Amino acid sequence: MRDVRKAVITAAGRNQRALALQTLVDRDGESRTALHILLNEAVSAGCEEIAVVIAPGDASAYATAAGEHARKVRFVEQHEPRGYGHAIFCTREFVGDQSFLHLVGDHLWVSRSEVSCAKQLVTIAAQQECAVSGVQPTKERELPNYGAIGGKLVSGGTGLYEVQNVLEKPTPTLAEQQLVVPGLRAGHYLCLFGLHVITPTIFSILEKQLSSLKSGEKLPLSSALAQLARQEHYLAYEVAGARYDLGARYGVLTAQLALALEGKDRSEVLAQLLELLAQRAK
Amino acid sequence: MSSLLNLITSQDAATRNQSLDAFARAASLDELLAACAELDTFRRQADNLYERVRALFFLYALHRFHIPRKLVSVAQAPSPAISRTGAPACPLIPFPGYEQLLNRRFEEAIDIFLKSQATDGPSDGISSALAAGYHRIAFQTLADQVRRSVRSVRGNQWMFRMGHPADQPLRLRPELLQRASDGTYPILREQTPVRMDLTHSAWSDIFFLGMDYPEGAKVLNISVDLGVHGRDTTTRPPVSAWLRVIDEPVLRLTSVDLGATADINSLSDIFDFAKDYLGLLKAAVIAAGIVPPGIEGSGQSLGELLSRIVGPGKGLEIVSCVNDIPKGSRLAVSTNLLGSLISVCMRATGQAASLTGPLEESERRLVLARALLGEWLGGSGGGWQDSGGVWPGIKLITGVAAHEEDPEFSISRGRLMPTHHVFSRDEIPDSARQALQDSLVVVHGGMAQNVGPILEMVTEKYLLRSEAEWHGRQEALGVLDEVINALKRGDIKAVGAATTRNFRKPIQTIIPWASTYFTEQLIAKAEAAFGQDFWGFWMLGGMSGGGMGFIFAPERKREAQQRMLQIMLETKRELQHALPFAMDPVVFDYSINEHGTVADLLHGDHAIMPANYYALTVPGMLRQDLQSLPVARRAELDKFGAAARNKPELRGMVQNLFDVLLPKGKSEKTQGASLDELLEQNGFDRNQHEQIRTDLKEGRIGLAQNRLRADTQIEDVTSGDVTELSEDLVNRKSQIVNLGEQALRNSELAIISLAAGAGSRWTGGAGTCKALHPFAKLGGKHRTFIETHLAKSRQASQKYGISIPHVFTTGYLTHQPTVDFLDRVKNYRYTGPLHLSPGKSVGQRLIPTVRDLRFQWEEMPQQRLDEQQQKVRESLRHALMNWARSAGEASDYTDNLPLQCLHPVGHFYEVPNLLRNGVMAALLKERPQLKYLMLHNIDTLGANPDPALLGQHIQSGACLTFEVITRRLEDRGGGLAKVNGRVRFVEGLAMPREEAEFRLSYYNSNTAWIDIDKFLAVLGLTREDILSADDQKITAAIRTLAAKLPTYITLKDVKKRWGHGQEDVFPVAQFEKLWGDLTALPEIDSRFVVVPRSRGQQLKDPAQLDGWLRDGSAAYVESLCKWA
Repeated sequence: MRDVRKAVITAAGRNQRALALQTLVDRDGESRTALHILLNEAVSAGCEEIAVVIAPGDASAYATAAGEHARKVRFVEQHEPRGYGHAIFCTREFVGDQSFLHLVGDHLWVSRSEVSCAKQLVTIAAQQECAVSGVQPTKERELPNYGAIGGKLVSGGTGLYEVQNVLEKPTPTLAEQQLVVPGLRAGHYLCLFGLHVITPTIFSILEKQLSSLKSGEKLPLSSALAQLARQEHYLAYEVAGARYDLGARYGVLTAQLALALEGKDRSEVLAQLLELLAQRAK
Repeated sequence: MSSLLNLITSQDAATRNQSLDAFARAASLDELLAACAELDTFRRQADNLYERVRALFFLYALHRFHIPRKLVSVAQAPSPAISRTGAPACPLIPFPGYEQLLNRRFEEAIDIFLKSQATDGPSDGISSALAAGYHRIAFQTLADQVRRSVRSVRGNQWMFRMGHPADQPLRLRPELLQRASDGTYPILREQTPVRMDLTHSAWSDIFFLGMDYPEGAKVLNISVDLGVHGRDTTTRPPVSAWLRVIDEPVLRLTSVDLGATADINSLSDIFDFAKDYLGLLKAAVIAAGIVPPGIEGSGQSLGELLSRIVGPGKGLEIVSCVNDIPKGSRLAVSTNLLGSLISVCMRATGQAASLTGPLEESERRLVLARALLGEWLGGSGGGWQDSGGVWPGIKLITGVAAHEEDPEFSISRGRLMPTHHVFSRDEIPDSARQALQDSLVVVHGGMAQNVGPILEMVTEKYLLRSEAEWHGRQEALGVLDEVINALKRGDIKAVGAATTRNFRKPIQTIIPWASTYFTEQLIAKAEAAFGQDFWGFWMLGGMSGGGMGFIFAPERKREAQQRMLQIMLETKRELQHALPFAMDPVVFDYSINEHGTVADLLHGDHAIMPANYYALTVPGMLRQDLQSLPVARRAELDKFGAAARNKPELRGMVQNLFDVLLPKGKSEKTQGASLDELLEQNGFDRNQHEQIRTDLKEGRIGLAQNRLRADTQIEDVTSGDVTELSEDLVNRKSQIVNLGEQALRNSELAIISLAAGAGSRWTGGAGTCKALHPFAKLGGKHRTFIETHLAKSRQASQKYGISIPHVFTTGYLTHQPTVDFLDRVKNYRYTGPLHLSPGKSVGQRLIPTVRDLRFQWEEMPQQRLDEQQQKVRESLRHALMNWARSAGEASDYTDNLPLQCLHPVGHFYEVPNLLRNGVMAALLKERPQLKYLMLHNIDTLGANPDPALLGQHIQSGACLTFEVITRRLEDRGGGLAKVNGRVRFVEGLAMPREEAEFRLSYYNSNTAWIDIDKFLAVLGLTREDILSADDQKITAAIRTLAAKLPTYITLKDVKKRWGHGQEDVFPVAQFEKLWGDLTALPEIDSRFVVVPRSRGQQLKDPAQLDGWLRDGSAAYVESLCKWA
């Protein structure tokens, strides 16, 4: 596998469009848009070109939000809201025949190490020469929010799993039947982390699935990833970090706190939080 | 290793399938006891579940059937091998062991009983206690394993982990949240067929069986749509479940057929299964994961849970409907309704991929797993084929061996869940399917029966590998192959021949009680009416009498439907007082359903619930201020109004609504007689009734007051207080026998069989006549209790060259049916005098006091049930206490058929009645030499005019001689005691302490020998008074004697039938005076004689029949009979 040089960020979803434009203070104490932070994540992993899939008409706002990375970014408009899978499919020409890093546009990641989450993933993908999705053990109560994979631990590989199935927001009933992964705690599943290194095979799969899509239906990515697992070697990696869903209730606030507590302003933010708590206690 | 252990552990199937009986027959008592010790050690150490369970069943069978027989032969031997010395007359069952049994601490109970056996030696009583302990622990072990397996099925596990609304991962499908323009939500409707079992399968779908013998668990199961012939214009899936969103944070559950609806807003109410008629819906909501079982008892909010699934402020409405298909059809209507409800809930919450249409195979399997869970939650449980309606068409369902990846692996040989092979059109062509439908007439005979005991018997016999039954099982497997092959060929005549043979041989070999006299009559009449065109009988489900199939030549099917209905109605009319019928028989129309369960989403004007839903809910809505109804509710009323005008299926609804809103007055009548008329006709004493009511209300009488004073000294009798009348003794005292024989030859004896009671335990409060019940096959035919008693009198009459007068006492419930029945059977051609002695008094049942209900259920020792069943029982009892409160404690019980509101006043009055109603006078007139009466219960089948016992009575010079038997665990209800120095009976109701009963060696068989003149003397009467029918004097004398006896308040079960074969059981209060209390009177010389169990035991419950047949009791009774 050649080095991953391209990244794709999806930000065209109806409820997702404004999220990447939110401003947060990053780990360095700088005010940046969420998009900027995402682009930093992609660049940290070695990506040189980044496609951002947007809804028609959003290009100028996104261009502004991209900040210093604007020149590396290419905006790809998704003209019809045909789902997440279709959004990825829109970037097939940009990606070409290389593996690419994919980041969802409504998440931010905070690594627990010096190495960014995206970089961790890209490194594993390069070592294993296959598609790799970031995953995180997640309690079953969170299943309605995420895609989840079923698979088994790769022998000798820490936190590395052979993917056998991918389901989008499965019910616990289905998850228990198809996604139980030996080694996880009871009631925990490997949910997708919003970060993937995907091989270009995905485009032929998406194309086929799109061709049978009925009018008005939306194509998820998970069914294409499930097919990818059937067609080629596909791994999941337990990323050393945390993901923050900006679209969730208090999602931006939580992401901001996470960034701040991992960054240079940690003491200041902690002090402010303590003060808030102390005042509330009165 | 002994040969017995080898039967359990052998790897060789042929060895493993050998029977215990062969070993036990040949072994001595000592060898059997040694084998028991070895088995007990083995079962405590065995890791393998089924080896352990089989050892437990072996232990049960040895103690229940084999050791008692050997004990009898040892006791009769000239030099007893077993010491019977010691204080008690025979070894007693230790009460602490009994207490442990009641509390389901079976291991502890068994240890106590074994210790007692080691100290006092083996005895019939201890063996009965050990048998009960081993039997219960065996079934508990099996039930626990099934439960564990149900929990461990993937897809079910998460529901047991979830304990907080915030953890609820299910979300409602968005399609269900899309309102129509009028504000109403769409309705998701699931329609499900029911299932027929074409091979019967010899009950091989019982979980315990399938999990040990998967290769023998096979069922041919057909999904069918139904209609009631003559009522419904077409067949359709009989079961449906409906679900929609509502704008209130509640679960609104409605059972259209049971007429019940409730808004549930607390989690604890969801788990309260017996509170109302919505238990099945609740079980479905839980099993589908909407309210997962793990959240029970969490104290969390249902509203929050619903908010998580449906959205803030919203709830769900779930409605069930079975199109008025009567209960007991043996078509698994309840289980398929549970499956249908689970399916609709799973679809709505995204647990099935498809919101509408049929289900995928994996989803159907999950519905099955959840239905098993739901049945367990509801405290019930059928077999694994019962959810068959969820699958399409005709399928072979088979047990599956457990493999390494299965949770059952290394625990049981088979998996919990079977596999389904749906036959394609290539395998069973359309022509064959049509041919089956053209020939088979499916009916509901109307009988209501509890099949629970039968399923236990089947399991037990399988695990014991009883010889005949095991052979029968193999034969049934052969029949299944035969039926499948015949069906593939479309040869329905061959199907009929095979199913008939299956019913006649293997099924009845395994369970003789699968057939009933009613069924036999129907088959015989069908044969007579249709000759060669009647192709066969087919038994559906657990036992016959309810759902059944009759196969005819296709050209006569239409005629057969009409004729069978006629035959069933006629036969039911003949037998309705003898057998429990829940309803009039019906014939079903049916068609094979090739889709299985299917859902559709109803939008807009089509989003209407089933018609009768509105009869149930609209009156409530109309009584409210319309403005206070939620928008969607108001819009629905509009929609319903429009639909009632336009939709043919809603025609007549407006009239129905008027009927519900303005109910007509009702007056129940029985054969033209109202309750007041019946009371008048049957000697009801209103003054006494009012006194009892007042005393009951004020707490002067009641269950607690039945008891003797706490300081009463109750001791066991000693050997001098009773006469042992073993065979040995009789042989040595032949002068006693001569005395008895002489009295018999002189025609000095008449027999009185007590048949006036309601037989509450036997009939479950159904109000039928126990005496007329054709309860078992003896001498190759079903025999009633009356016929059996007459057959014994016939044999004795012939032996002594006389004709013994036989009297059956009757009451308000039994008199006319007995008169009619004996007329129809021509007195069973009994040539001696045969009299009926009608009762002269009756009581009216009362609503019980909560105080007495509490006493019975909370203070008296009770058998705790399995955890979930106990919960359901407690919930039911809570509901019944509320019923007593709201209906009015100690008020008259009138909400039933008039006959079900009366009660007999106790068997003390039976002999006095003979004096009042002229029967004694008639006996004395026709036979002046008559000196003695033998009185016995209708269910004491071994009682006969034994000359030794009569001789003993004559020689003793006593007024009354009572027969007693040594006590077994199940012999509850008092016993023979020395009370403050006097030997007398103490009724169970009067025992001051429960444990006192366990210190008594002997149990009252209620068979008594009466010296007529001495008894009259006690009353201050003479033969002349009786012959001159001096009613005033006789009545006064009886009243004086009765006043000396205690009046007991008792609670009895009474059934109320309603709807389509539905039955509810209510506890009612009544009073009684008992014959055995005469022994407490010093002026009566009472003696007691110990008789063998085979003579003295009573059949109180149909579940006893199988043991009675197997332990030799039935054969003993047959040996006393001479059939006409």
